[in-house]
Amino acid sequence: MDGEYDLVDYAVQYARQRGATYAEARFERQEPEQFILKNGTLDALYVGADRGIGVRVLAKGGLGFAATNTLTKADVKAVVDDAVKIAKAARRKTPITFAQEEAITTNWSVAEDTKLSDVPVEEKIAAFQAIDQSVHDLGFKIPARYFQLSCNRITKYFANSEGSRIHSYSPRLRTSFFLTVVNGADAEQSHREYGWSGGWEGIRELKVAERVTDEARSMQRSLLEGKKSPEGKMDLVVGPQVSGIAAHESCGHPTEADRVLGREASQAGKSFIGPDGLGMKVGSDVVNVCDDPTVEHAIAFYATDDEGVPARRRYLYKEGRVNEFLQNRETASAFGTHSNGASRAVNYNVEAIVRMANTFVEPKDHTMEELLDGVKFGVYMKSFMEWNIDDKRYNAKYAGREAYLIEDGQLKHPVRRTIVELTTPTFWSAVDAVGTDLEFEAGFCGKSDPGQALDASLGGPTMRLRNVYLR
Amino acid sequence: MEDLAVQIVAKAQKLGCQDAVADLVHNRSYQIRFAQNEPVISNRWRESYASVFLVHDKRVVATDIKDLTDVDASLERLVKIAKASQRNPEYAGIAKGKFRYAPFRPDPKILALQDGSDYVHAAINGALAQGAKECAGSFWRYEDEHFLATSNGVEAHDHRASLYLSIRALLSLESSGHGIACATRLSQFDPEKAGRKSGRIASLAKDPKRGQGGRYTVVFDPLIFGSLTDQVAGRLSAYAVLAGFSPYGKKIGKRVASPAVTIWDDGSEESLARKKFDMEGVPTKRTPLIRKGILKTYLHNTSTAKRFKTKTTGNAGLVAPDPHAVFVKPGDWSRDEIFSEVKDGLWLTNTWYTRYQSYVKGDLSTIPRDGIFHIRKGEVVETWKDIRLTDNLVRLMQNVVALSDTTEQMMWWGEVSIPNVVPYALIKDVNITRSAE
Repeated sequence: MDGEYDLVDYAVQYARQRGATYAEARFERQEPEQFILKNGTLDALYVGADRGIGVRVLAKGGLGFAATNTLTKADVKAVVDDAVKIAKAARRKTPITFAQEEAITTNWSVAEDTKLSDVPVEEKIAAFQAIDQSVHDLGFKIPARYFQLSCNRITKYFANSEGSRIHSYSPRLRTSFFLTVVNGADAEQSHREYGWSGGWEGIRELKVAERVTDEARSMQRSLLEGKKSPEGKMDLVVGPQVSGIAAHESCGHPTEADRVLGREASQAGKSFIGPDGLGMKVGSDVVNVCDDPTVEHAIAFYATDDEGVPARRRYLYKEGRVNEFLQNRETASAFGTHSNGASRAVNYNVEAIVRMANTFVEPKDHTMEELLDGVKFGVYMKSFMEWNIDDKRYNAKYAGREAYLIEDGQLKHPVRRTIVELTTPTFWSAVDAVGTDLEFEAGFCGKSDPGQALDASLGGPTMRLRNVYLR
Repeated sequence: MEDLAVQIVAKAQKLGCQDAVADLVHNRSYQIRFAQNEPVISNRWRESYASVFLVHDKRVVATDIKDLTDVDASLERLVKIAKASQRNPEYAGIAKGKFRYAPFRPDPKILALQDGSDYVHAAINGALAQGAKECAGSFWRYEDEHFLATSNGVEAHDHRASLYLSIRALLSLESSGHGIACATRLSQFDPEKAGRKSGRIASLAKDPKRGQGGRYTVVFDPLIFGSLTDQVAGRLSAYAVLAGFSPYGKKIGKRVASPAVTIWDDGSEESLARKKFDMEGVPTKRTPLIRKGILKTYLHNTSTAKRFKTKTTGNAGLVAPDPHAVFVKPGDWSRDEIFSEVKDGLWLTNTWYTRYQSYVKGDLSTIPRDGIFHIRKGEVVETWKDIRLTDNLVRLMQNVVALSDTTEQMMWWGEVSIPNVVPYALIKDVNITRSAE
């Protein structure tokens, strides 16, 4: 193992010799173990042993990145040569610079009550077959039951030419399910995803078995009792899953500084918030949205980012106003500020860029009963299925999966396919009360080219929106 | 090193595996990303790894071995895990070789290309000349070499290389256009043309107003039509059908598109995805998917084919069958005739974020981006923004009225995940919605 770390140190030192004004190298080992259980059958088991080194340099004002998984001194030397050469070839008119940050030396890891590596794969498979059986035993018509488990153990060593030396170990567990429940020609489909930083205890802590059967029951009820969702302006109460996706899509993404600056314009897009947008009013005074990599056991937990900057909580929207952008060292330099530790890469072989981690609506003080109590007529949309948002993060749509009519503060029958299609300011400005019940789900956040689908948590409590248009 | 795939298969058999596939891959790709009219980062990869698929007593396991100095230990570990795993009764083996493959070699000029900066600047300059102010995108020189071996007698080699450029040109946040350039021969690569197209659409898209919901006749530019055909092909994987991710279940022989629509998958035809064989070593070939609107087949590997009582289509991935490259048969309308047919409708040039409410029904929405134009009597009368296409995949393809007589190769970040060679399409009665304020 020391050999790999020595190669990282060598890469940084050699890059400086080759003329890089800044150099960093990242060794990463990932040990994924994944399987799919399709209709009770183990479809495929994937067991990986991935590792390599990525080198990023600044040279003559250009940024170069090169990676290899062949860990010899000659191969690492070759990728350093590649990175320096292609950085110099950029011939930029405006040199890229990084914000100055303190060099740090640290070693952090996430604890596992039950180590992922200590649980035999057959035990993991058996756990999901038991969950599948419990869904099957409900007796509903469920022609497609699809479960996925992904465990990963990520070991990193980061070094840069400013003296940072960081070791880390991050075990993660992610599980998702996709169910199709039918009634005659009618069908309900649901996809849910949960994540955990830590060990196998995550399966218990996340209450996966309970959530799956609850979801199947609600799908069956929607099919049998669901009525058309009302159309028009009315109050809307959204559950944590909906709060979470809205926090991620219309708060987190538009406050990514690289998007604001146009670096992602051709792929993930830009932002309705301009570079001078701090302070812009986008929501009501009760809206606080955070991104926080230090949330314990959330799947995107980290203590230092992939540029060696310590992680901290960022208030993206505070009291309804844009409060802070997510920054890495490159964007922070452009904004004349400091990185807030938001730089991450999905693996050794891609550059680290500005990313969300665990993004959530900050909980407040309302109970569920209090949130419903103020609603004369409206919809409680507990979860969603279809969703999307435009590339400037202004026009979002969330289509209800589990939803109920509210009359005089009471939940009534299920309503199907409630459509919330609102602009970002319309959605957040309508929030008048925020609950206490913070919950997280997991997602893959897509960005960059080559695409980096990265672990992210999406969270929030139940919220109430007043007088919004629903279909 | 070239013999490593064969050695992996032999070792797997020695360890008791009945079936084994090893694909030794050398990735030597190179990329320049650009934004604000300048390169923002250049990337180069030197990666070698083996994608391995093993079956031990119907227990199926897969891996990517990154440490090629310790292959034996990796295989022993994998077989041990396989033995502890569970049987997959649906597994039905891999294809039996030997096969003959069409000769194909990558363009040596692409292999020799060391610096793509001039292509990036050509694209940017093309867009700026049309009035764009800000350009962003990616240039790629893809290169990967494969040495495939299977326990059923396959020993094959394929060296693939191509060029790709994607450019988005902007006048402002809400006035933008997108262009794509693809080539497997350096002489065919025209990034400036892609730049000009992106700049032309961006210039035409200035001062957009909020669009109106309703049902419209819509001209789909090849990039957004490619997004739809990409969805169709992805949903036609037998795996998607079996897992509930497809509206095409039990639709073989049924009408799933208008008679104007003929679609096939073909990894052997000229495209960025041209390859000699699939992951089982089966030679790639043309596979008709939809002929004159009638669904002909799903995409299969050997296992899914047996489940559906048919033959593999040569679309095996490491685990599930996937499309290689999608081709839509051009129609007999000129581009101008398609636009002239629109009395009061829209022209959409790109989209993203396609998501489903119900995969089995095909209910989806997707968000047009870049130029969105309101057309009357074939002419652009307004530029729109902030609309959403909310419809059904099968219904959209059934409502295709006309296809242009020329096609273009499209591939784009996320939405057009594999090459789609597609014409302009005219689709009637498309449902458009927009956000409430």
